[in-house]
Amino acid sequence: MTAEPVVTLKQVDVEFNEAGRQVHAVDHVDLTVERGDIYGIVGYSGAGKSTLVRTINLLQRPTSGAVTVLGQDMLSLGAKELRNQRKRIGMIFQHFNLMASRTIAQNVAFPLLGTGKSKAEIQAKVDELLDLVGLSDRANAYPAQLSGGQKQRVGIARALASDPEILISDEATSALDPKTTASILDLLKSLNEKLGLTIVLITHEMEAVKQICQHVAVMDAGRIIERGDLVTIFADPKEQLTKDFIETTLQLDSALAAVVKQPTVQNLRPDQRLVRLTYLGESTDDPLIAALYRDYQVEANILFGDIQILQGTPFGNLIVVLSGEEQQLDAAFDYLKREKVTITAIHPEEVGE
Amino acid sequence: MSWLAKFFPNVGPIWNGDNGVVNAVIQTLYMTFWTTVIAGILGIIIGVLLVLTDEHGLLPNRVVYWITDKLVNIFRAIPFIILLAVIQPFTRLVVGTGIGTTAALVPLVAGTAPFFARQVQNAILTVDPGVVEAAQAMGSSPLAIIFRVYLREGLPELIRVSVLTIISVIGLTAMAGAIGAGGLGNLAIAVGYNSSQYDVIFVSLVFILLMVFIVQFIGDWWAKKVEH
Repeated sequence: MTAEPVVTLKQVDVEFNEAGRQVHAVDHVDLTVERGDIYGIVGYSGAGKSTLVRTINLLQRPTSGAVTVLGQDMLSLGAKELRNQRKRIGMIFQHFNLMASRTIAQNVAFPLLGTGKSKAEIQAKVDELLDLVGLSDRANAYPAQLSGGQKQRVGIARALASDPEILISDEATSALDPKTTASILDLLKSLNEKLGLTIVLITHEMEAVKQICQHVAVMDAGRIIERGDLVTIFADPKEQLTKDFIETTLQLDSALAAVVKQPTVQNLRPDQRLVRLTYLGESTDDPLIAALYRDYQVEANILFGDIQILQGTPFGNLIVVLSGEEQQLDAAFDYLKREKVTITAIHPEEVGE
Repeated sequence: MSWLAKFFPNVGPIWNGDNGVVNAVIQTLYMTFWTTVIAGILGIIIGVLLVLTDEHGLLPNRVVYWITDKLVNIFRAIPFIILLAVIQPFTRLVVGTGIGTTAALVPLVAGTAPFFARQVQNAILTVDPGVVEAAQAMGSSPLAIIFRVYLREGLPELIRVSVLTIISVIGLTAMAGAIGAGGLGNLAIAVGYNSSQYDVIFVSLVFILLMVFIVQFIGDWWAKKVEH
């Protein structure tokens, strides 16, 4: 993948007056999204992520800063040029925003109205898009007759009607149940792969980010406080908020709280160590636990284990009790470190509820 | 037909003729129809203008909004019977005369358009702002949004407020008799009430109610049909 930036925000700042109160929704944010990426922006509601992504297609004009999309300086465009540019940026919404008075086919055809395309051309495009999102049989239904997941599929088909190169997803799965969420994320992932669509996905669900994003930025109070590729962020989060978000999907802390209540942990012997082992990628190829016993006579009692596949890279977290001679334990730790396993000692008395 | 003659002794003799029942029905229908058409068009234009120029609208314009908003309020505040008189010089300018059925259209429109404009504004405001935002994100122009989103998505509500407005117009035409416009209201008051011919009042009332019911029925049916 060539590193061609399709969205560049430079020092974008958004302030507005809301009910007499000055709101600093976006605070001097820099953001670059490259072609073909799925870029997740995660944050709690009110963090400013919706406002931030709306500066990409200028649904929200920044108070200051520069917005460049697909090589165009957005803020220099006239009204008509801006409308044409917006056709290259699709958008899907949390509440779908379909038109209740139009059928599914008419909703999908909406962006093509007034573009000079013939009825037959529009029809063909609509058929193709409905087929793509798996809703060909509902073409003549109205939005009110569809489930949430189906409505979002219509939203996606509609967003794709003008063949955009970028898709902005504004909490698109937040109103959906987990199963439907997964299927919509799968669809987005396949569109990214099939069409080379660049996706900017904002969400408060780290689970969604984990499933499909290549890069992730964490937003808080209008600022991006941490960013990076998905694996690095998961393996080595710096900010507490990032850690909190990761916890929502890994649930290590709650696992730990349950683990420390077990008798094995409560009655830890002097030759036993309670540790968390974290490893990324290749280190998992070697049978770690077996090697510990074979080479160091250290027994590992696995109390909790979790392996996530992030962008094709395994990311493992084990909570284990290691038992063995003092020297053997030290040697085992050295071995683990050589294998790029991060060892974190856990003190049961310090684990909160 | 003898019971008709028995219970409505005064209606038969004035059934036809210039000041007759048939003519009064025609005059009321004439005033209602043209007021609805003209005030309807004006009201939609003004209502859309209010939505567009509102501070959260597509083309925010404080000055245009303020002036339009105040004009609408002022015209809505004038009691119709006073409006009939106040607007006469303007009516003469437009129609050539200040009295008669056609002359009554001017105050009827002036009284109805602002009322309808406010209803149109509120009807359009019921359209989900998210849908409008989606249309903007798709690159729709303000004109496209007016016709393809506001007036289309707001149609069920627009039909409902139109019914309300037409019924109010039918009511206003009853007062237009004061400037010689004729109609059923005039028949009921000028002929029926002033001559104590209560059967004439009753018949006038029946026709007015019939018109109201028909408008209501068609409106309800249509609104239901376009709502999905």
